[in-house]
Formats: sequence, C-alpha cells, structure tokens
Amino acid sequence: MESGSAKWQRRLFIALFIIPTFAFFCLFTIYPVAKGLYYSMFDWSGMSQNKDFIGFDNFIEMFKDPIIWRAIGNDYFLVLGKVVGIMVLATFFAVALTRFNFKLAGFFRSIFFIPNVISVVVIGVLWNFIYNPQIGFLNAFLSLFTDEKVTITWLGFTNHTIWMLLPPAIWAGIGFYMILLIAAIQNIPASYFEAANLEGAGQWKQFVNITVPLIWEQMKVSILNIMMTTLNGSFVIVWIMTEGGPDNSTQVMGSYLYQMAFRQYHFGFGAAIGVLILVLSLITTVLLQRLLRHESVELS
Amino acid sequence: MKSGIRNPIVKYAFYAILCLWGLSVLYPLLWTLLDALKNNDQFFRHLPWALPDFPLLWSNFSYVWDRYNFDSYFLNSIVITTGSTVLGLLLAATTAYVLARYKFPGSGALYLLYMASMMVPFILALIPLFFLMNSMHLINTKIGLILVYTSSVLAFGIFVLVGFFKSLPKELEEASIMDGASYFGTFFRVMLPLSQPGLITVAIVNVLNIWNEYIVGTILVNDPTQYTLPVEIGVMQAEMQYRTEWGPLFAALFFTIVPVLLVYIVFQRRIASGITAGAVK
Repeated sequence: MESGSAKWQRRLFIALFIIPTFAFFCLFTIYPVAKGLYYSMFDWSGMSQNKDFIGFDNFIEMFKDPIIWRAIGNDYFLVLGKVVGIMVLATFFAVALTRFNFKLAGFFRSIFFIPNVISVVVIGVLWNFIYNPQIGFLNAFLSLFTDEKVTITWLGFTNHTIWMLLPPAIWAGIGFYMILLIAAIQNIPASYFEAANLEGAGQWKQFVNITVPLIWEQMKVSILNIMMTTLNGSFVIVWIMTEGGPDNSTQVMGSYLYQMAFRQYHFGFGAAIGVLILVLSLITTVLLQRLLRHESVELS
Repeated sequence: MKSGIRNPIVKYAFYAILCLWGLSVLYPLLWTLLDALKNNDQFFRHLPWALPDFPLLWSNFSYVWDRYNFDSYFLNSIVITTGSTVLGLLLAATTAYVLARYKFPGSGALYLLYMASMMVPFILALIPLFFLMNSMHLINTKIGLILVYTSSVLAFGIFVLVGFFKSLPKELEEASIMDGASYFGTFFRVMLPLSQPGLITVAIVNVLNIWNEYIVGTILVNDPTQYTLPVEIGVMQAEMQYRTEWGPLFAALFFTIVPVLLVYIVFQRRIASGITAGAVK
C-alpha cells in the first residue's frame, strides 16, 4: 500500500509532466483549430473590430465560387498524380534495393532520400529554374533537337500548368515512402522468398505473391499519407512556383485560403476554406480506407 | 540463397533506372553549387549545364551573406530551430513518459487527442494563430516562432517516445525507486539517458522540419530582420522579377541546403528509423 504522502508525490509528478505540455498544446494547437472553425461563420476582414455572424453564408458563397471548384479539382488531380507516381516509383525502388541484390543498394537508398530533407521552398526555386523559359534546363534540352530555340513558358498555360507541378511533387516525395516500404520488405521473413526461389518463382511472381500482400498495410498507410499531406500541404509548392496562377489555374484549396485571408483580407472566407480542407481530408480518409481494405481482401 | 535478377539485360535496365534517378537527385545539388559561381551574363549566354567561367565567382557567397543579410537569417534559423527542438523534446518526453508508464483518469483520451491532432490540417489553425500571436505581441519575434514550432512537433514526439519508453524494462525504475530516488530523479537520471536513441531520432526529424518550414514563417514574420532562411529564399525569388541575380540566388539556396545535408549525412539511420516510427500512426 502506498502511504498518503507517496500518493501525493506521485500525483504531483504526473501533473507536472502532463500539464505544461497540455497547456502549450491547447494554446497553440487546439485553440487555433477551434477558432478556425468558429471564424468560418463570420464575415470578417480581420482588420476591423466588427465581425458579423453569418452562419453558413461563407460556405454558400464558397460553393458558388468557380475558383474553389477548380481548386478542389486541382487538389485531387495532385492527389491522384502523386499517389500513382510516388507509389509506382517508391515501390519499384524499395523492391530493387532490397530484393534484387544490387551492389550499391545502400548508396542509392541514401541518395534517393535527399530531396526529403530539402525545404519545399528550395525545391520550388530549383524547379522554377528548370522550367524557366529563357535560361531553363527544359527548353535548353529541347532546343538540342530543334532548329530554333525553344522558348516555351512552361508555367504559363492556363490549362496544363497544374501538370507541371506534378514532377517536383513526385520527385520530392519518393524517398520517404521508399524508406517506409524498404522497412516493411525487410520485415518479411527471408524463408518465404527462399521457398519461392526453390519452387522456381521469378522476381515478378515473388513480388506479386509475397511482397505486395505482406507490405499492403504499409502501402495503404503510404497512400493515405500522400493524400493527407497533399490536401493539407501542397499549397507551399504551388505558392512558390505559380502563386496559384496563371488566372487561378493552379489554385489549390490551401493557396486559395492563403490568398483570400492574407492577401485579400477575407478571413472568414479563408477560414471556411480551412474547414473545407478538414472535412474533405476526413471524408477522403474514410473512403480510401474502405476502398483499400476491400482490395486487400481480394489480394490475400 | 541466390536471388536477384537472372536476366542480365533486365538487370542492367534496372541499374540504368536507379542511376538515372540518383543523377536526378545529385545533379541539382551539384548544379546549385556551380550556378552559384556564375554571373548573369553566363546564365543568359551559355547553356544551363555549362560549367561556370573562370575566375569562379566565389564572391556571390559573400555577397549574399553580407548584402542580403544571410548572416542574420542564418542565425535566426539556428536560434529558432534549436529553441523549438529543445523545448519540444522536453515537453514531449515528459508527457510521453507519464503516458507510457502511469495510468490516470483520462490518460487514454489524452494520448488519442495528441494522435488525432496529427490528422488535422495545420492550415486551418493558421488564421487564428496569426491573430493569437498578434494579440500576444509575438508577431516578428523569434519567441513567437519557437512557441508555434514547438507545439507543431509535440504530437510526433509524444507518439515516438511513448513507444520508446514502453520498450524499456520496468525493473529499471523499480530498482531506482528502491534505491531511494524520487520520481523526478528516476526520470532525469535513469530513464532520460536510457531513451537517448529515441530522443535523438525525434530531435533530428524535428530539426529538419523546423529548419525547412516556410508557411508559418511567412505569416508570423513580416519584418525582414526576423526572417528565417526559407522565408528569405521565398522573398528573394519573388524579387527576381525586378532584379535578376541568379548567381546570388543559387548561393542562397546553397546556404540553406548545406546544413540539412550535413545533418542528414551524419544521422541517416536515425532519420530513417524516425520516419518508419512516425508514419505508422
């Protein structure tokens, strides 16, 4: 039995270790998130004292705004493009660097992760240089095959510029998911592959029948993670490379939020976009989880 | 047991793909350095992959350092990254330890709350955060950024460290208490040193994230003397429309990349284990 004073000491200890962190977390995370939900119900320029409660009017206005639909479309375009691009390449690299007995596998693994430690701002500036119409790599490279100098403004077409944001996003994202899948593959008991080898199963058969089913959980986590980070964070690369332009053609929900709140001072409207991002990422998480669970049953 | 690719053509094709991708990663780094040594004339007259002319313009580095005040941005970034990593680690470790070892009313719910917060888009908090910091007079201050970054890394730290503390044997604490140590003494003298590998992993992942952070930095800082490196890079790139100084821009990128690259080279394994731990939430 604990004595009274020991009990009290224990309580004090727990309180001192829990409360400061929690207070911090409440002030700088929970409170702002809750306040974000609250602001979305107001017509507010941010500058003036008077906030008008307008209920769901921001949301009604938002859904009448053609730009938000474009932004949602772009967000899901990036989600789809990144899921396909990153998963195909990251899985390929993970398998190649674990199952193919390549020399230098460790070296490649270290190198492939490097883009993940570099700031998105730096990545955006580097890729802007690749796409630069006068002095960029892409045009200079294409000019090698043509008589006239190519001067395409890669980030200037309203219909296709969003496509140009996919390569940097995929390039920057692969290393993280590759590391995750490598760890998963290394957890598969070697005896499974040895048995398959004895039966004469080639790499492809081993990949389809052993590797994929056994790393499916991590692939699922990866796909969900790509979706979440894209919906919540892809606006940084958008903001650096195109600022949502030209003519709002590369706008994503996050960049539109930023523009509305911090450039045009529609803070209530901006907050409503924040709520939309939250709701869409929750719905998409649930839907994806359903979808992927279904497939994992079929596979195994 | 022999495995690997049997068909040599396939094998070399795969090798080629790996080499190409490796090149796509390494080349931009090399070319950042090379382009930092050019002047504008070289950018416009030569092909982008041309080597810089002699004499190499090392002065671009000192130019960025002095004229663009990179010395102060560098210092800002170091102070902010260090401050929020240390504070974030202390707050996460204390809570993680209690959550891993003691049951009290609401402990399960508290853990779930921290975990759930990783699902909420940070951008939703951005607008209120701006006004909160404004009302606390913490806009344009290092303290303001340190507080926000600390909070943003708490959930990840708690998640990894709860797992880590749970993996340590309970007998260690029992022995320590038997020896007459207090709860606090046990934590700081026994458990914290033992959890060093976990702490280092969390610290490195946090350092990389905070050093590279851009959007919170832009919103909470508009005084040029208080910029962090990524914020200044963003500003510099925007200014390129009016005055083109490509060489200095690449020198600036170089200064921003080199510290994280060094951290990565030294701590590769830890970063990989941090990612593996953090992604399986």
